[in-house]
Amino acid sequence: MQDRSADAYALQAQGLTKRYGGLIAVDDLTLHIYKGEIFGFLGPNGAGKTTAINMIIGLLSPTRGTVLINGRDRANAPKRSLGICPQELVLWEQLTCTENLKVVGDMYDLPAAVTVARTRSLLADLALSEKANTRVSQLSGGMKRRLNVALAVIHDPDIVLLDEPSAGLDPQSRLWLWDFIRSLKINEGKTIVLTTQAMEEADALSDRIAIIDHGKLLQLDTPGNLKKTVGSGDVIEMQLAEPELSETIMADLRSISGILEISDTDGKLKIRALDAVKLLPEILKRVDTTRTRISDIAIRENTLEDVFIYLTGRGLRE
Amino acid sequence: MTVKFLSLAIKGLKERSRDRRSVIFLLLFPIVLMVIFAFVFGSANSLGTGTAPHQIAVVNLDQGATVTVNNVTQHIDYGASFTQLLENITYPGTNTHMFALNNVSADQAQNMLKRGDLDALITIPENFSQALVSSANDSARAAALSDIGLRVLNESAAQTAASGQLPLTSAATSELPANTTLPTQSNVNAEVILEGNTGNVGFEAAQELISNVVEQYESQVQVAATSRADATLGQNNSSASVYQHVSAAVQPLTGTQSLTLFDYQASGIIVFALLMQVGSVAQDLARESDRGTLRRLKVSNMRSFDLLFGTLLTWIVIAVAQVLLLFGVAVALGFVWAGGANSIALAVLFGIIGGIASISLGLLLTSFTTNERQAAQLGVLISIPVAFLSGAFLPLPTEILGTAFGTTFEVYDLLPWTLVNDVLREILLYGSGLADVAVYAGLAIVLTAALFIVGVITYSRVRLRPE
Repeated sequence: MQDRSADAYALQAQGLTKRYGGLIAVDDLTLHIYKGEIFGFLGPNGAGKTTAINMIIGLLSPTRGTVLINGRDRANAPKRSLGICPQELVLWEQLTCTENLKVVGDMYDLPAAVTVARTRSLLADLALSEKANTRVSQLSGGMKRRLNVALAVIHDPDIVLLDEPSAGLDPQSRLWLWDFIRSLKINEGKTIVLTTQAMEEADALSDRIAIIDHGKLLQLDTPGNLKKTVGSGDVIEMQLAEPELSETIMADLRSISGILEISDTDGKLKIRALDAVKLLPEILKRVDTTRTRISDIAIRENTLEDVFIYLTGRGLRE
Repeated sequence: MTVKFLSLAIKGLKERSRDRRSVIFLLLFPIVLMVIFAFVFGSANSLGTGTAPHQIAVVNLDQGATVTVNNVTQHIDYGASFTQLLENITYPGTNTHMFALNNVSADQAQNMLKRGDLDALITIPENFSQALVSSANDSARAAALSDIGLRVLNESAAQTAASGQLPLTSAATSELPANTTLPTQSNVNAEVILEGNTGNVGFEAAQELISNVVEQYESQVQVAATSRADATLGQNNSSASVYQHVSAAVQPLTGTQSLTLFDYQASGIIVFALLMQVGSVAQDLARESDRGTLRRLKVSNMRSFDLLFGTLLTWIVIAVAQVLLLFGVAVALGFVWAGGANSIALAVLFGIIGGIASISLGLLLTSFTTNERQAAQLGVLISIPVAFLSGAFLPLPTEILGTAFGTTFEVYDLLPWTLVNDVLREILLYGSGLADVAVYAGLAIVLTAALFIVGVITYSRVRLRPE
């Protein structure tokens, strides 16, 4: 059980709103993020995630609302409490890895010896020790991304905001990074706000997940609860040989008790049902009466992606 | 713990020194320019004269002369007449004036000569009119005597031997019409001083033209006097005698006896190199914004002061390197260095001031650009015209703004780089000390400080505040 007292919160956003003329980028967003948790922050492109994060770290002034860091107003909280790993690679290309880390360490007033020690430790943790004195311009994309993460934590912040830290990483580097993020929580007790488009990543790492769209908070819960309570049930995915019959078949299947939702994407039907295995024979029988052929069929449990799509829809964003 | 602004300054220097394009743009390019200028303008005779008006100033000290002709006394001011002639004279067969006359004082003209704004300073001496009257008298006397001289000589030979009096005057007088006397003979000579940079091709051409004009002017005065004498005596077409009472003398501007146009331009190339910083500073700061590193710095404990002072330090070091390197190259290429070690220290100091002015303009520029490329392009678009307007490459037409502290200021002096250019030239080429350039130096500092304040405030408001 999480401690629900005010002291338990590392980061609180209360009624956070940002308007650009008539456009509301973030609309009355309220979040309470516990100390020591990994908080997933999900939303489609343009949902307002980055705007919200920029207000949290002080790069953007909110139109309305407040941000509290460890219970203190953001303006009065030590800047050292926050570490930010932006989505883009924010590095000084002509400097070496060590020099990049030293500049950021200096900007947070770290003693030189501490900077040196933390640099050595971080480069080892992120498999960059051999590249310590290599200029960033000569690093691979994966190495740059890992260094991007190192720069967010060189000053040992309490709260780390990671904005899509694994974008563009190969599977090995991604798993390495996940371990590193977990170790920040488990070994160093840091609070982590993780923005990602990778549902698998959010599911694997997050203690709780907030889903926002159009600047508004849609859901906030643990990944398990989200999967149970939002679009609950299992999913049958069925590829029809004759996609033009999908409307007829969907109309028929909707009459089966226990089916919660049916959607169609280019002849691929996605059927959400409370007890899909039990309903499967009846579904197949109904499809058979239409004399159409099923070219592929699969049954799986509800995923975070289903929850995400259920909440934010299928429409393309920016 | 490293002081933040120092850490940022070191970061900036490392980035610049490792960026090949920066090194080429900021150091190698000006050096190449210096070499080209030394090659093209290193010889005083390397340019043709052309038919463009020469920038001159005239200091007319002529007191005039009082003469009596046919019992009529009048005051003659040949100095003013000669000045008017210089102003009006055109190249043969064209409407182009030979000289553009600048109406300035002697001190102002001296300053303009040093800055290269003038080709020549002409000083008409006090006795200019008197010398020309002498010349006219000699011609008139010669004309009057040419016809009757021999006859009178024959008649009065015996009288001369007996009295010991000058025979021509007394004897010739008897041959003259009533109420007419021979002009008094005097031996007044005057020298018109032509002052300028003897290494400047503009002066070389101008002094040749002016010397000819002086000679022709005296000749015309003599012809007029001869004609008057002929008319009085009823004679015809006596040829004017050649009595030279007025001559032109070249006086090199102090310290310029062996200078070439390159010596004059070397300080300008240093200023041009400093101006190249405008685009580079703007590009650097735009890059910090573009790549998000500025946002990383903004969320840290860094203050605006740290970023701006750190940036300033980086570019000051580069400015010092530019001044020393370009000065060394200029000397190696034959630049006539008049100062000692102190002059280098002063040149570095004013190089720093020029550098700060460029940094300030860079701050201002990057506040209104949206990306790195735009900043670089705008930097070039601004720094090249400013380099020309500050006289970095070529002397500028005279545009007097006013006089203050005993110094004449031109419109271009509103640019700190113009003043830095002038000061560098004074210090390195003419060996002037700080006291000699105090007014220009003071104004350069004031203008740079004002530009810096505007740049810092604008950049801080636009780029460093939360959006």
